[in-house]
Amino acid sequence: MILDIIIDGLIKGSVYALLAIGFSLVLGVARIINIAHTALYMTAAYLIYVGTKLMGLPAPLAMVASVVLTVLLGLLVYTLFIKPIQEHEAAVLIATIAVAMMIQEVFLMVFGGHYLGVNPLIDGYATILGVKVTYQHLLALGLALVVLVATRLFLVKTRLGLAIRSTAQDREVANLMGMNVTRVAMSTMAVSVGMAAVTGAIVVPLVTVEPTMWMHPLIMMLAIVVLGGLGSIEGSFVGAYILGFAESLVVFMVPMGSFLKDSVALSIMILVLLMRPEGLFGVSFEEER
Amino acid sequence: MQFLGRVGAVLLGLSLILAMCLPAGAADPITIGVLGPMSFTQGEGHWNGATMAADEINQAGGVKVGNVMRPIKLIKIDTNEFLSIPDATNAVEMAVSRYKVDFLIGGFRTEAVQVMQDIAMDAKKIFIGCGAAHPALCTRVTKDYDRYKYWFRLTPINSSYLGKVDFILLGTVGAIMKAQLGLDKIKVAVVAEKAAWADPIVRAAQKVLPGKMGMEVVGVWRPSPVAKDCTAELAAIQRSGAHIAFTTFSSSVGLTFAKQLGELKVPAAPVGINVEAQKTGFWSATGGKGEYTVTINTFARVKITDKTIPFYDKYLKTFKEAPNYTAGTYDAVYILRDSIEKAGTIDSAKLVPFVEKTDMIGTSGRVVFDKSHDVKWGPGFVTGLGTQWQGDQNLCIWPYKWHGITYEGTVPYKLPPWVVEHWKKK
Amino acid sequence: MGLLGVYFRRTVTILRSEVLVLPSRIAVLVFIVALMALPLFTQDYYFLRVLILTSIFAIFAASWDLLSGFTGQMNFGHALFFGVAAYVTALLNLKLGLPPYFSIPLGAVGGVLTGLVVGIPCLRLKGSYLALTTLAFPIILTGLVFAIPDVTGGELGLAGLSRLTGSRVMDYYLTSGLMVILGFAMWKITDSKTGIILHAIREDELAVRTSGVNTTRYKLLAFCMSGFFAGVAGGLYAHFMRLAGPSGLEVGLSFQVIIWAVFGGMVTIYGPIAGVFILYPLMEVLRVALDSFPGLPEMRMFIFAALVLLTLLFMPEGLIPWVRDKVEIECPRCKVRNAFNRKRCRVCDAVLD
Repeated sequence: MILDIIIDGLIKGSVYALLAIGFSLVLGVARIINIAHTALYMTAAYLIYVGTKLMGLPAPLAMVASVVLTVLLGLLVYTLFIKPIQEHEAAVLIATIAVAMMIQEVFLMVFGGHYLGVNPLIDGYATILGVKVTYQHLLALGLALVVLVATRLFLVKTRLGLAIRSTAQDREVANLMGMNVTRVAMSTMAVSVGMAAVTGAIVVPLVTVEPTMWMHPLIMMLAIVVLGGLGSIEGSFVGAYILGFAESLVVFMVPMGSFLKDSVALSIMILVLLMRPEGLFGVSFEEER
Repeated sequence: MQFLGRVGAVLLGLSLILAMCLPAGAADPITIGVLGPMSFTQGEGHWNGATMAADEINQAGGVKVGNVMRPIKLIKIDTNEFLSIPDATNAVEMAVSRYKVDFLIGGFRTEAVQVMQDIAMDAKKIFIGCGAAHPALCTRVTKDYDRYKYWFRLTPINSSYLGKVDFILLGTVGAIMKAQLGLDKIKVAVVAEKAAWADPIVRAAQKVLPGKMGMEVVGVWRPSPVAKDCTAELAAIQRSGAHIAFTTFSSSVGLTFAKQLGELKVPAAPVGINVEAQKTGFWSATGGKGEYTVTINTFARVKITDKTIPFYDKYLKTFKEAPNYTAGTYDAVYILRDSIEKAGTIDSAKLVPFVEKTDMIGTSGRVVFDKSHDVKWGPGFVTGLGTQWQGDQNLCIWPYKWHGITYEGTVPYKLPPWVVEHWKKK
Repeated sequence: MGLLGVYFRRTVTILRSEVLVLPSRIAVLVFIVALMALPLFTQDYYFLRVLILTSIFAIFAASWDLLSGFTGQMNFGHALFFGVAAYVTALLNLKLGLPPYFSIPLGAVGGVLTGLVVGIPCLRLKGSYLALTTLAFPIILTGLVFAIPDVTGGELGLAGLSRLTGSRVMDYYLTSGLMVILGFAMWKITDSKTGIILHAIREDELAVRTSGVNTTRYKLLAFCMSGFFAGVAGGLYAHFMRLAGPSGLEVGLSFQVIIWAVFGGMVTIYGPIAGVFILYPLMEVLRVALDSFPGLPEMRMFIFAALVLLTLLFMPEGLIPWVRDKVEIECPRCKVRNAFNRKRCRVCDAVLD
């Protein structure tokens, strides 16, 4: 049973980590709480559904196309609706909520509230130490780890990565050092939406595609980001696994209470914050000039 | 500044006047408000079933009220009840006080239907529910008859009857497993979404299974109705050594559960209530992984009554999907027509005694209402069906020689091959 | 008689010197008079229902502004206060048989206590941390609601509460009257010393603390007051709908209240109220308008979201502050507001430009 918990938690955690890190980047660099983050994840999922099921494209092609299109959409939203009002924190906040609602309503109008599904890339399951895991879940786990490592390398090794990190740490000093903060924010947005889209592409065969599918990951993602510490990539990573394991633990230990897994995960977040108000790995950039 | 608020109010007023003018031109028809979440499968069912019936009646000349033939006019009321309850109630209030509908049919989410009920009762309009299963809606009729007498429930059968059918299905599948696989005692994993309507079924399962039915309950799992992932539950069920997963699902979790069970080939046959498995889209949404899922159902292509197959075929042809239970609005419209023709009036208060006396061969069985205005269940009345996904078809597997009833077109239950394979070895 | 005359003259004086001098205040006056006079012209059930709900949500949105706008304690889970108060009111009414005029205030006290329970752990959190943490509370509570269906009714909620008042028109006067009174009370609070301290906390908490003010106490006070007003809204909602259910705790409601408030204009109290009075009936206008085009898919929410988005693009401070800046000028010397057509300040006679 411990094995079940570990494997199940690992898979859940990886998917959460992908979402949370992308969200965390934008929050750190551009100070945007992007509620539409998971709505873009949903967009990628729907596009793959359209690509594979309705247009009959091969799955890898559909995945790439959907990621590209979603990133374009994300950048469009950013330039049109978020950048002009960037100075007004509250306005940005509801702008992203409104964008998320619009995306939801568009899919509701086009596809209705029907539950849709996409076939997995590889059928079947593997048995690892007596625990059954579908290949698609393993694939998702593998891809998630690859993307996580790639993001890490990108942030540490490249110039743009350095710029993103320094802007996240201190925006004004970064600006004074001659960095184009606006352009950094734009690139970060692209990376972030890209991660949301890749997550959507990876998990779409595992989930039910429907117009409100962005809500639940959104809440978990927000909880993880807070738990790990805002703007901290490591924090989001660790936080994701903590909540992933917490969820599986609840299901296995108290089957009668498996509906409480969200509540328990969120309570853990609040308990951690009570002890460490800036999250596990948080740097408090809120106090900056 | 707030004069803009007033502009809003004036605009509202103007459009209301506009709305008032719209139905004013046609005073003659009998108007029925069809309530449902119209962007969702449930609401589509409400609307499709009702339009089919209304078209048929209108083509035949309409409804005979006294000496006048009056056509039926349906008004589509999008309640949006999944996303917003106040929205739902505003829509119903508009139907009643603006469009002046004569009758209401439909409704789905129980929390919202309770408020819709109150609005309909305030307006003293007959409201035939086609969607919410909770018994509390009908106990209101017995508690305060004078106020709630305008409420009737047509589909589905209420959740305590659903529970009965549920156990019969479980018993049937259990017996087949015992015989085919040579098992001594059937082990059952009870999986029910965490919702109040499912609680009595879970309590009954814990009592009845070990007692009367001679089965063993290896565990009870209560995922959230909207859970997006059931792998943890499924792994635990596999560990528990269950032969049958006894499901009670009305929400999206049913789809996730069935799909992941098929993907992981968990050796427990899924039997019970799974509303998602009633929908035509179930097959493609699960990518075929939901095969062998058994659920209670209202419609299937079997001869429940003479009306069922023609209704089913016509529905499938017109709307490209099989009717789900919210399409019971079809029968609701006919019940209203019959009662109106007998009573010779469309006044709800005078009509109630006639609707109470309804005894109609409908599409899902013989419809008779009991004291609480709930549709009667049992052999010879509405029975409900058990259906199983075999290939990409949702086929009827029950009633099968139950109190001498087997509907024409019923097929035998098939065990999932991976279940057979897993348990044969031991 | 003489006393009455004095009062009458004083009222007229206040009207002339304080209300009629500013377009925004005239608008408020006209709005209130129109609101009160409306049932004289129509007593349509649907019309009144929409306006009753609008009033209830207006109280709710203003209470969000009191907490989040003024102290900057961004609350993403404001539905918590609303939902808890609705449940408390429903339980008191159904189990103990308390009539609405007891159960609603007690429900609001429930809101206050919730404010305390949530406020204390949240005191250490700042900015986005606070915002995202508060989002969690209603979701955790929803889990609890489902865990004890014997008390809460599970997904069914608690139904069959007694009516607010005997008739729809009385319901209307009660809710809209309370909306005006409570809105005015909230506005007064923000204008008082307490309000100024709250506002200062938003701008610079550290500076306020160095001035010797116990900011913790004031933040907690803001949570409680906000909980109270949101609680009144929740209680009214429960009695009017005759239902308290899990939908009162949904994330969607929390988001909705933020949209109303920010759209109308934060840090004003009247902004969120106006926001609700524009946006909530708008949904109904759209319903009626779109009903004439049955071929169109359901797109009310889409139009709603698009409209909010576009408005913000041009008026990021919110609609009402934008309009207000168009019709009024602030005196550069004494900071008193003046009507846009004045040449000189009405108080200090400085030249307005």
